[in-house]
Amino acid sequence: MKFAIAVFAPAHAPSSRRALLFAQAALAAGHEIVRLFFYQDGVHSASGNIVAPQDELDVAAQWRTFVSDNGLDAVVCIAAALRRGVLNEEEAKRYQRDAANLPAPWELSGLGQLHEAAQLADRLVSFGGQ
Amino acid sequence: MAKSMLIVSRQAPWSGPGPREALDIALAGGAFDLPLAMLFLDDGALQLLPSQQPAHLQQKNLSANLQALPMFGVDELFVCSTSLKERGLENAELALDVDRLDAEGITALIDRFDLVVTL
Amino acid sequence: MATLHVVSHSPFSDGRLNSCLRVLGSQDGLLLCGDAVHGLQKGSAAWDKLQQAATNGQLYALQEDASARAIQLDPQVKPVDYPGFVQLSLDFDKVNTWL
Repeated sequence: MKFAIAVFAPAHAPSSRRALLFAQAALAAGHEIVRLFFYQDGVHSASGNIVAPQDELDVAAQWRTFVSDNGLDAVVCIAAALRRGVLNEEEAKRYQRDAANLPAPWELSGLGQLHEAAQLADRLVSFGGQ
Repeated sequence: MAKSMLIVSRQAPWSGPGPREALDIALAGGAFDLPLAMLFLDDGALQLLPSQQPAHLQQKNLSANLQALPMFGVDELFVCSTSLKERGLENAELALDVDRLDAEGITALIDRFDLVVTL
Repeated sequence: MATLHVVSHSPFSDGRLNSCLRVLGSQDGLLLCGDAVHGLQKGSAAWDKLQQAATNGQLYALQEDASARAIQLDPQVKPVDYPGFVQLSLDFDKVNTWL
């Protein structure tokens, strides 16, 4: 079966970790993840600037590894990201900001990608809040 | 055939980017001609109050954007009647043309959509 | 269509669970995770409101959250792990998370 997974919370929120574990379980069960879409505060789950304490979980890093290892389509909503200061190199240059903090494998795109994923998948599962 | 989506907006109008970002999901879907509906529930019902003056908060007028929904093909708009009543707005005139639903009506509404996003 | 509702906020400080229960259909499922599992504490007002759903076999809890909080699950509440969560999302027609 095909899943679209949307994340609305930052890396330090329990729901971001929960989304990651759900996504991992979905792949482990042989399902496909059509797209990961990060919206609202979920854009922070894609930040490359998080410095997790040594003895704590680094969920943002785990997301990156999960996406890269599995070759997943991982999209961050550009409007939500700009508003929250999550920019890749291109946007940092465009808006003349000092720092880019959205690394690969994340891609910036629009809400159309969320809709497309929801249409293609068998299930859209969203994670957010706490 | 396209899957239908119900967007449930639960936050008060000036609580942050939430209401606008919920609306953006609807408008983006509408632009792709997807079958969509919006339900204003709990504090989301407050978005429908007319005569709001967000300029006092240096904010843009959300109402004006809500009016755009039918233009984007999103004309199935609902509000929870209990949410209105709880907030003393049972008899208030609303800024948008919406159908009022009670709990049972909302259960039935959720039931008939392929997808639901509640934010 | 049967919907799996997912709530992760504590019912003692947040209105999501209450709102969800008002619109929960007879065929729907309700998965409590995160702080929402505090609502499964016996003797709490929240548990009182969840009784009906529990008796109807509609109530699920994410096991890791109940265990972390040392909450004893009533036998009517069905614990799920992540593989179980994935399966549950497929057993129901759609998932509605109260974000």
